[in-house]
Amino acid sequence: MTTQPPSLPVIDFDTIGPAVGTRFPDVRLPDQRGQTVDLHAARAGRSALIVFYRSADW
Amino acid sequence: LFNERVYEQHAAYGVNPQDRHWGTPYPGTFLLDEHGTVMEKRFYQSYRERETGAGLLVDGFHAESSIHDSEVRSGSDGVSVRAWLDSGTYRYFQRLRLSVELTIEPRLHVYGSPIPEGYIPLSVEVAPIEGLVVGSPELPEPHPFQIDGLDEQFVVYEGSVLITVPVTFAKRDAGDQVMHVTARYQACSTTDCLMPASVTLELPVRAEAQVASAAQ
Repeated sequence: MTTQPPSLPVIDFDTIGPAVGTRFPDVRLPDQRGQTVDLHAARAGRSALIVFYRSADW
Repeated sequence: LFNERVYEQHAAYGVNPQDRHWGTPYPGTFLLDEHGTVMEKRFYQSYRERETGAGLLVDGFHAESSIHDSEVRSGSDGVSVRAWLDSGTYRYFQRLRLSVELTIEPRLHVYGSPIPEGYIPLSVEVAPIEGLVVGSPELPEPHPFQIDGLDEQFVVYEGSVLITVPVTFAKRDAGDQVMHVTARYQACSTTDCLMPASVTLELPVRAEAQVASAAQ
């Protein structure tokens, strides 16, 4: 008899966070130099990837 | 980023505090268009899975990849084949993008699917490697093609065809690998067919060192 590892809950990412087709929220956060970055201003009318990562080296 | 708010957010994501994955952040990406509108969300059910930067740019924004670390070439009469990965290295559970491109000489075509019995459609296959998860190949839409004198309906590719396949190394400490990628097809003109071809390319991919604390 083998023991199966517990399965993770299935997450419906479509219903969590900013939805497809909506404007991404305004975000103003400090960068690594302490300078405030305004996401939409920094984009300057260009496309962008907003990447959430576990760690810098993974 | 690890504070009570994050734990609350994970509860909202349905992660049980008793679960061994409690508190584990899920990597993911939002793709925004030039108006700041969310075009696409790329999150995966496994928190371990994530894409390469080059793969996101090519797949999400259709950027032309110039990063062909490990491009290999081969081919047959009338057709040249090249294959590359969007990264010459891999990390445990990182989703790589395998690209296979056929360049078909003018006046020739290769068949797509569906196809009448007896003909050979274009296909791409990756030989099994322990721990390697191979996704479904993504082929462009072939176009209808009529051959004089035949009642059968054909769909074909002409010119250049790019096939992509998501691949993930899901075995820890698998080390450096060589992927064997085979493209099968038959090139024909409106009057003649060349011999069916099976072209195998060997793609080396190196294992990137893992950070011990993150290699879960």
